[in-house]
Amino acid sequence: MRVSTPRMGNLPLIVEDLACRFGIDYIEPPVFSEETVRIGASLAPEFACLPLKAVVGTFVQALEAGADTLLMGGGSGPCRFGYYAEIQRRILEKEGYRFKLIILDPPSTSLKAAYSGLRSIVPPDVARFGTLVRELRRALAKVVVFDEIEKWGLALKGREAEPGSVERAAEEACSVTAAAFTGKEIRRARREVQQLFENVGLDDDRQCLRIGVVGEIFVVLEPYFNFDIGNWLGKRGVVVERSVHIADTAYPGGRNPVFGYDERQVARAAAPYLTHEVGGDGLLSVGATAIFARRGFDAVIHFLPFTCMPEVIAKSVLARVSEEMGIPVLSLTIDEQTGRAGVETRLEALLDLARSKRRRETIPLEGRFSTSPTGDLSLRGGSQPP
Amino acid sequence: MRVGVPRALLFHHYGDCWISFLEALGVEAVLSEPTSGDTVNAGVLHADNETCLPVKVFSGHLMELKDEVDVILVPRVISQGYGTCSCPKFLGLPDMARSLAPGLPPVLSPAMDLGDRRFLWVRDWYKVGRTLGRGRFTSAAAVRSLLDSLRRHDAESGCESRDGGALSVGVAGHFYNVNDPHVSLRLVERLEGMGASALTIEQSSEREARRHAAALPRKVYWGFEQRLAGAVLHWSRTASVSGIIFLTSFACGPGSFIGALLEDELAREGSVPFMTITLDEHSAEAGLVTRLEAFTDMLRRVPRGSRTFAVPERGAGL
Repeated sequence: MRVSTPRMGNLPLIVEDLACRFGIDYIEPPVFSEETVRIGASLAPEFACLPLKAVVGTFVQALEAGADTLLMGGGSGPCRFGYYAEIQRRILEKEGYRFKLIILDPPSTSLKAAYSGLRSIVPPDVARFGTLVRELRRALAKVVVFDEIEKWGLALKGREAEPGSVERAAEEACSVTAAAFTGKEIRRARREVQQLFENVGLDDDRQCLRIGVVGEIFVVLEPYFNFDIGNWLGKRGVVVERSVHIADTAYPGGRNPVFGYDERQVARAAAPYLTHEVGGDGLLSVGATAIFARRGFDAVIHFLPFTCMPEVIAKSVLARVSEEMGIPVLSLTIDEQTGRAGVETRLEALLDLARSKRRRETIPLEGRFSTSPTGDLSLRGGSQPP
Repeated sequence: MRVGVPRALLFHHYGDCWISFLEALGVEAVLSEPTSGDTVNAGVLHADNETCLPVKVFSGHLMELKDEVDVILVPRVISQGYGTCSCPKFLGLPDMARSLAPGLPPVLSPAMDLGDRRFLWVRDWYKVGRTLGRGRFTSAAAVRSLLDSLRRHDAESGCESRDGGALSVGVAGHFYNVNDPHVSLRLVERLEGMGASALTIEQSSEREARRHAAALPRKVYWGFEQRLAGAVLHWSRTASVSGIIFLTSFACGPGSFIGALLEDELAREGSVPFMTITLDEHSAEAGLVTRLEAFTDMLRRVPRGSRTFAVPERGAGL
């Protein structure tokens, strides 16, 4: 059994960790390229959303590379994600591939389906129930650390004194974390990671813009599709905070340890504009935008794949959030045709807008900013690994 | 008190129930006019440009009601049956309506969760009655009339199953597309003009649809799409139609998946021909007529049941 999965942000790191824990033969899916997207777009239904097409492309490449078992997430709506696996299975079977597709349903869909999905890759003779639970808990703690590395990297990239120092710290942090397996090692790795980031020299005189990035998890996390927004903004001296993380999605009980606001707080922040769950990350996008606006961010960038249902709702509601809370919101729709230049031009315009807005409001904002340049981005506090 | 009800989206499913609720409350229900070119234009202008056609049409209806009424009723339909959920667009519809344009009248958005066996959602409707200034007794009576008309609605729909003669075409699409002559470009009428009889989802047996949908390897969790997929599979497996037209709208999320699912399933089974027609605000009559003519001509060539369709060859493509 040679297993492969989709690719999204630091998901390959996480899967590699799990594969190591349970002794699974894992083939890392190829990095996204024009070829991946071309294959995906040519096989998938025309109006399917970008993540589906991208994952089909990845699966084809993984199968060509020798994988025979594919892992895919499930769900029970209302977002289309829950039906991805079925459509992908049909597409790939039609193309003549022979493979086994295992659907990992979240426990919220059906506890039984979730457990049996899990057991079909990790049979009881590999890990008894207790071992399974213990290893999954440890893996989850590690996911939190991986996501925190990303979060801290985004927060510090725009303020680093020496270009590239944050990137180096993040790389080292990732390798430190990847080597940790037991709970104790993970806790130690987290302390080390924190130290690595605290050692990065910061330029305290720099006037940084603060921008929030919200939207659909796949395009927000995958640098290939968001044109590496974190680095792009970081190079222009922008402090970035993201609303979606893999750990927050996987964490039970809606606690969102990496974002720092749990589901109820997000829902309350979104309530004046959107009062009901709309599936996917729709409610989170609206709630996080309201939270960012309240915290005095300069702008919010909203990423969504073309025809994404929850985010289209969020997009039309965000127009009102932007108007009423006085925060510029740029919605960027990404599909397989989106070009880098078009996105960059619009981002540059957004940065100009945010800067001129900041200048107009010089007296109150500059004062606040210079007294507390870190704002609430400090590395202290935050989440504790479970 | 004038309460506006847009004649769009799920009004085509539950409109009479909503109207009977408002009548029982004793408020004046103002329905928007049937969709026209101006409605669509107004909707395209105000709604987000990435929403699907029916939501744009809905926005157009809302803009028409804007100056005529005191409040607008936009129920939030959370599910249409047990164990299913609605398309996200229905879940966020009232919030979307509120942010459509400045100066809109207040939007009342009682929930309608038909999959909830405890009927907790009827409280919202009671509160609507109280908000509109009616007493406890009147509000409760109005809720009761809403539930009664829903029960009648359930009893009426989905028990009719007729064979449409030699050349019958199954039209699988949302009620708000198929039943809106402007949006669907009078598709059903045109089919009948061409000598074919059209069978819609409304005229399929709900029980059979549920049975076939349950046999799918993965459950379709959107309520209406589940019914649609089941009905199409029933038509195809019993060969009760000569061909199936899948009518969907541009950027329809569930439609994009269900279309792909049905296309694949029908190709595997090698049953009846299947054609997808995608509607948007630019759809023109001539294009539709040509495709319908070609489709019905093709169906006429080979009598129903006698055809064998080649399943697409595995391993081809790429």
